[in-house]
Amino acid sequence: MAKITDKIKEYTRPGYYEKFDYHWTMSIDLDRCTGCGACVVACQAENNLPIVGEKRFKERREMKWLRIERYWEGEYPNLKLKFLPMLCQQCDQAPCETPCPVAATYHNQDGLNTQIYNRCIGTRTCAVYCPYEVRYFNWFTYTWDEPLEQQLNPDVTVREKGVMEKCTFCVQRIRMAKDKAKDDNRRRVKDGEVTPACVQSCASEAMQFGDLNDPNSKVSKMTKNKRAYHVLEELNTKPSVVYLQKVEKHD
Amino acid sequence: MTNINRRDFLKLIGAGSVGTGAGVLYGEVTKQTVELLIPQVIPPEDYSPGIATWYNTTCGQCSAGCGISVRTREGRAKKIEGNPVHPVNQGRLCSMGQAGLNALYNPDRIRRPLKRNAPGGSFTPISWDEALTTLGRRLGNLKIQGKGNQVTLLSDGVRGHLDKLFATFMQELGSDNYLQYDFAFPNALYKANKILFDIDTLPYYDIKNTNYVLSFGADYLGTWLSPVHYSLAYGHLRQGRGKRRGKCVQIEPRMSLTGANADEWIPAKPGTEGLLAMAIANVIISDDHYRGSDIDDWASAVGSYSPSAVSGQTDITESEIKRIANDFIRHRPALAIAGDNIASGTNAVSNILAINALNYLAGNLNKEGGVIFNKKPSLVQSTQQRHASYIDMMGLRDAMSTGQVDTLIVHNTNPVFNLPNSSRFKEALTKVPYKVSLSSFMDETTDLVDLVLPLNTYLESWGDDIPEPGVGFTTATVLQPVVTPIYDTRSSGDIILTLAHQIGGELPVALPWTNMEDYLKAGWKEIYSGQIANSAFNSFDQFWRKALESGVWGENKTCVPDRKNKTKQVQLNNITIAPEFSGDEKDFPFTLLPYISQTFFDGKGANLPWLQELPDPMTSIVYNSWIELNPATAKKLGIKEGDLINVQSKEGSLQAPAFIFPAIRPDVIAIPIGQGHTQYGRYAKNRGVNPINILESIVDDASNALAWSSTRVKISKTGKHIDLVKTSGVTRTLGRQIFDKPGKHS
Repeated sequence: MAKITDKIKEYTRPGYYEKFDYHWTMSIDLDRCTGCGACVVACQAENNLPIVGEKRFKERREMKWLRIERYWEGEYPNLKLKFLPMLCQQCDQAPCETPCPVAATYHNQDGLNTQIYNRCIGTRTCAVYCPYEVRYFNWFTYTWDEPLEQQLNPDVTVREKGVMEKCTFCVQRIRMAKDKAKDDNRRRVKDGEVTPACVQSCASEAMQFGDLNDPNSKVSKMTKNKRAYHVLEELNTKPSVVYLQKVEKHD
Repeated sequence: MTNINRRDFLKLIGAGSVGTGAGVLYGEVTKQTVELLIPQVIPPEDYSPGIATWYNTTCGQCSAGCGISVRTREGRAKKIEGNPVHPVNQGRLCSMGQAGLNALYNPDRIRRPLKRNAPGGSFTPISWDEALTTLGRRLGNLKIQGKGNQVTLLSDGVRGHLDKLFATFMQELGSDNYLQYDFAFPNALYKANKILFDIDTLPYYDIKNTNYVLSFGADYLGTWLSPVHYSLAYGHLRQGRGKRRGKCVQIEPRMSLTGANADEWIPAKPGTEGLLAMAIANVIISDDHYRGSDIDDWASAVGSYSPSAVSGQTDITESEIKRIANDFIRHRPALAIAGDNIASGTNAVSNILAINALNYLAGNLNKEGGVIFNKKPSLVQSTQQRHASYIDMMGLRDAMSTGQVDTLIVHNTNPVFNLPNSSRFKEALTKVPYKVSLSSFMDETTDLVDLVLPLNTYLESWGDDIPEPGVGFTTATVLQPVVTPIYDTRSSGDIILTLAHQIGGELPVALPWTNMEDYLKAGWKEIYSGQIANSAFNSFDQFWRKALESGVWGENKTCVPDRKNKTKQVQLNNITIAPEFSGDEKDFPFTLLPYISQTFFDGKGANLPWLQELPDPMTSIVYNSWIELNPATAKKLGIKEGDLINVQSKEGSLQAPAFIFPAIRPDVIAIPIGQGHTQYGRYAKNRGVNPINILESIVDDASNALAWSSTRVKISKTGKHIDLVKTSGVTRTLGRQIFDKPGKHS
């Protein structure tokens, strides 16, 4: 009997771990975010996102792991435009993970929702299941006009046709920081040692990144802010991206 | 024998021992020079496979002068990030700065010097020797004949030692005609600051520590002066000070990125923002918030601008004006700033004067959270005086069309794109006998010249820079190559120094250096010797190494404002506050608002594919131009999104698809600047429209700057339709829990 309850416990916690080694989390303060788009370009540069061209853009085949969504409120002249940076939420109960027939997307020990490119067979099911619409499919093998390919980041794979891709929280930077910690004989990565490209570029310092398991990390403190919330929280996906509400009222 | 590797060597030995056919074999093996297992047994300096090297240098994408750190791997630039120790951007960087890699590795870069065969003919590649000898001989002859003044150098806004080099070169050549031209250069702001505060440099606007930003059109989060620095300040203003959250109010006819982030967006009638400022000043005086000794002067200056008198003209209610004025006073330290479209009408300087006066009346000068005056940069003289106003450019045009310019050297600037058709600049340019362009790309101006000298990008060059607006203390940044030039290109400094030696005479005496690096080092030796007293360095080499490592040098002190208000007795009596427009209201019912694009700046960024693919922050449109219309206007005229609209001014017309933009006045239409290139490489060419083309040549008399927000237009449907490519679908939340916790407000 005890065995069965253990199994249930195990399977009702997709993520499959009692506790993550690290729990990488990002916080985005919407009161600081200006919607400038620096993070979008930073992501494109870091992660070898292709330049798809106008035609593909028109066909809605843009490749942007991080995009800025914009929502208007009110009518002229009492208008507001709100910005929302939207990227893979690295859900702890990710709807995209369960339907993959080949387990190309799974949850790793760090709480990351990872995508294994060479396992992916391109059913695109995960993209259908994702409520945040942040998975992007390679409909083509994109090329770079020579010599733009010289810019490509050697730490990140260039994806081919038929593969699903999405934000990785710059896993290559996390890996590098872990290696460095190991080289320095430290057991853990220090807070602030890992910054994904988007967080690094953010001019208004709206984004923070760190380990939620460390109660003293910057991001842990942000998640305790009373403005903190998850987008589409009612879906119970348990995202690792925490947004901080924009302050509306002012004296 | 140098190219023989071990295997070939063994083959050779074998051949020798057989003793026959050695000559044939030898010939064969020495052909195989590419068969090397390790490509570089002795790799270049700072080159270790798999390990990234970071170089600190300076961004060259706009005029803010941010510091950047470039990550290189195996000799190639991979990523640009902000330099954390740089006082302007403090480790952060905007989208344009990051897209600098697209400029470096752009497939459309000019790869070798080009010469035009015959007038109107095509270009032929030539060698650097030939190019520089031809140009050097021509300049030398002009100098010997005493016609040095017939040489004109038109540059972009270069600063630091490159500017000094240009100036020395032109002076030794006997020419006074060294001009700088940038479309976005805030001529009016400089002029107004000169009149009101008698300063030559821009002050430091302390958005970080203020409580209330009253911005008249200044898009400080998008394009105004130093957006990255102000974004940092904005973040701090909002959430960096605990419970003290600063308030932002934006007054502008079309909502900019800053307007979208402001707490209040107030669409005053275009051009009347100065009037509004006068009314606010009037309230400050009449409500007894100002107690200076010159109160009587002020009272008489603003007396006639009561809120009730101004309300009708500005389209802002009386109570609203009073509320803004009281908020402004109540939230001190507050900051009133003016820029972009508000500072580019026929009354630009008057507008800024009135708006600046608010800072004076509220006592915001020279204190934390207000306007702090920068000291003059001690390193190199400010170049502000060299910046050509529109009238100066018209002077150049007249000189060119009357044959007073024999040789025109254009450096990195694109006046053919950035001046309106009505300026007739292009026609005058073609009359110049010999035109030279120093540029990395085949832009509209470079396409018309006789000799093209391809430049290194800023990532392959030596130089330095002084950020403008300054940061409150003296600082300078180094520009160093992060990769070796990938094509047969040279840096501007090297070209000028080589030319100086080519021309001979006094030039090599005044400029004895043979390359920019040496020239730069000589210049920085002066900084070093000026700093010896409090220096931690033993030698110049040590100092220089440290400067290259950190990419920035600054006086080791922060800005301490001197508490006295330095203001001339302001006489606002004589300012012309009413705007003028080209075209009367009846025939041309809409005010055309061209605005500087956040992605392409003044058009410079249009050839960078990352920027073409970056959705516009307000509309999410990519790869095109669009015309922003208020929904009410569109409904009245029966226009839907994507309908191709004809925009007609007195000077010309253009056609672009309509975009229904909720946050724009019904009597205004807006078009972003940046697209509409007829040259400039595959990503920019023949894409969208350039609204500058149809502007009328009217200027702000006080600053002589082009009044690019003062053209009226009429619009009509063409019946055609173009699908705008954009990423936003539904632009309303429709009750979804996107910005709130669930169950809070639904």
